Amino acid sequence: MSSQTPPASHFDATLLAYEERLARALAMGGPEKLARRQAAGVLNARERIAYLCDPGSFIESGLFGTSGTFPADHGKTPADGKIAGFGKINQREAGLVANDFTVMGSSSGATNGRKIGHMKRVTTQRGMPLVFLGESSGARMPDTMGARGMGSLLGNDGAQYQRLRETPWASATLGLSYGSSSWYAALADFSVMRKGAVLAVSSPLLASLAIREQVDPEELGGWRLHSEVTGLADMVVDTDEQALDAIKAFLGYLPSHHNEAPPVRPVPAGSGEGMRDIVNLLPPSRTQVYDVRKVVRTIVDKDSFFELKPRFGKVGVTGLARLDGRTVGILANNPLVKGGALDTDACEKFTSFLVLCDSFNIPVVIFVDTPGFVIGTDAERHRAPGKIMNMMNALALMTVPKLSVILRKTYGQAYLNMGGGRNSDEVAAWPTAEISFMDSRFAVKVVHGLEPGDAGFDAALAEMDRASEVWDAASIFAVQSVIRPQDTRDYLVRMLEVHSLRLTKGVGQHLMRAWPTSY
Amino acid sequence: MARIEAKTDVTGSVWKITTVVGQKLVPGDTVMLIESMKMEIPVIAEDGGTIKEFRYAEGEAVTEGEVVAILEG
Repeated sequence: MSSQTPPASHFDATLLAYEERLARALAMGGPEKLARRQAAGVLNARERIAYLCDPGSFIESGLFGTSGTFPADHGKTPADGKIAGFGKINQREAGLVANDFTVMGSSSGATNGRKIGHMKRVTTQRGMPLVFLGESSGARMPDTMGARGMGSLLGNDGAQYQRLRETPWASATLGLSYGSSSWYAALADFSVMRKGAVLAVSSPLLASLAIREQVDPEELGGWRLHSEVTGLADMVVDTDEQALDAIKAFLGYLPSHHNEAPPVRPVPAGSGEGMRDIVNLLPPSRTQVYDVRKVVRTIVDKDSFFELKPRFGKVGVTGLARLDGRTVGILANNPLVKGGALDTDACEKFTSFLVLCDSFNIPVVIFVDTPGFVIGTDAERHRAPGKIMNMMNALALMTVPKLSVILRKTYGQAYLNMGGGRNSDEVAAWPTAEISFMDSRFAVKVVHGLEPGDAGFDAALAEMDRASEVWDAASIFAVQSVIRPQDTRDYLVRMLEVHSLRLTKGVGQHLMRAWPTSY
Repeated sequence: MARIEAKTDVTGSVWKITTVVGQKLVPGDTVMLIESMKMEIPVIAEDGGTIKEFRYAEGEAVTEGEVVAILEG
């Protein structure tokens, strides 16, 4: 915005009053509160916006909004505690809502509710991402109290929490977040959390009142809970700046809206340089495990792997990456954890990731090495059949290209969940692949009733192992390609080119756009 | 100094303890190997630290989620 001083006019007094109002609106909750934040090493809402947006690109909407319920609050609620506007993030337009905790704890009120509604409408209609920088004490008191308060402030926008995934949403939880701030984190396609922040339905104080015991904020909604147990946090960072950098990086992989293909980036020098030795990332023995993320990082463009939910459902790996400059979604089993046996958390993690990729036209590459699903009473109590079928259904509803590469084992139903058969557009396998209904050593017992040491066990096992090799699958076209490990990157780049959605300029049908945002 | 618990992801038996008390680990290092489902599954240090004690010896049975070693970091 230009700040050139105009020549003197009859309106000087009015314009001076404007400048005074402007200064008050920009002052947020006042110097003392801002100083306390600074001393704690935490950015304030306007500093966060300045860090996130390209210099000079932020244009605010609703700067002069204030609390509209009680006249006494007008003067002490700059921007009504939620700063909204549009800015460019790495030269691409985005909408922003930054909660200003120094103004009434950024509580939700009538005016700031209208501001959020406006940002959602504009970003959806004009096709740009929406970013929430969350930190909020929840609904504003006493404004929301009583039947009149409830009727006036809540539920007047039937689409307030509707998610149809027309444009990407990203959320950073950067402090105490209760109520709507937590809802937007849960609705977002990407949710990053700073250590020390708390994401919960309501505050520890309210929770303590409700259950009559002291509640620890970290236990109630800290980073460990959401990164390891609930999976609501896709990423955890140490500082505000790292959280904002993560949002910039995430949006860099996505299109601005669901009717365009993701952006294409230059291929970094050194991409693919480790391919020659990639087979050596597999351990020599089939009883030993390895970290599949090393395989993924070797294949994709250099330093492009952006892992999501690394501490949740760790038997599965999900993340965005680029291949030849183009965004891809990576799903992989990780033998390093539980041998890669799929559990219910991993099913949820895979399902939500498939929904993200399909909703925003991101082709998927699946790396397979799994002995099957974790079975037993604990799995059943966690609704394993439901979670396994949710994932299967998500895979079947995908309309973006999906390619799978079998690195080592793939057994049983997990063979299908990981893209086996017609559940991928193309199935490739390394010569090290083994495909069967179950591990040969268990199969010998089930089929022949033989235990190790019994006469005939070794011969039966050898025959089972031979029949599990990839060649029988290739001979009946259940596997379309058997490839040298070192050729995997070139194969994927070429096959993604073959399967590009050229009839629709890279845009899929988004059949899961109304699926839940968590499971 | 924070107390860090290293837990096993799987039920099985301790196959090999690949570290020693006093050894410094960085995040991602292997603390020990558990034999489970006929595979060697590592217990990984999620956070870096120095090994203070082992709760199990080689050959002993462990259950999923149990603390098998304590680190300080």
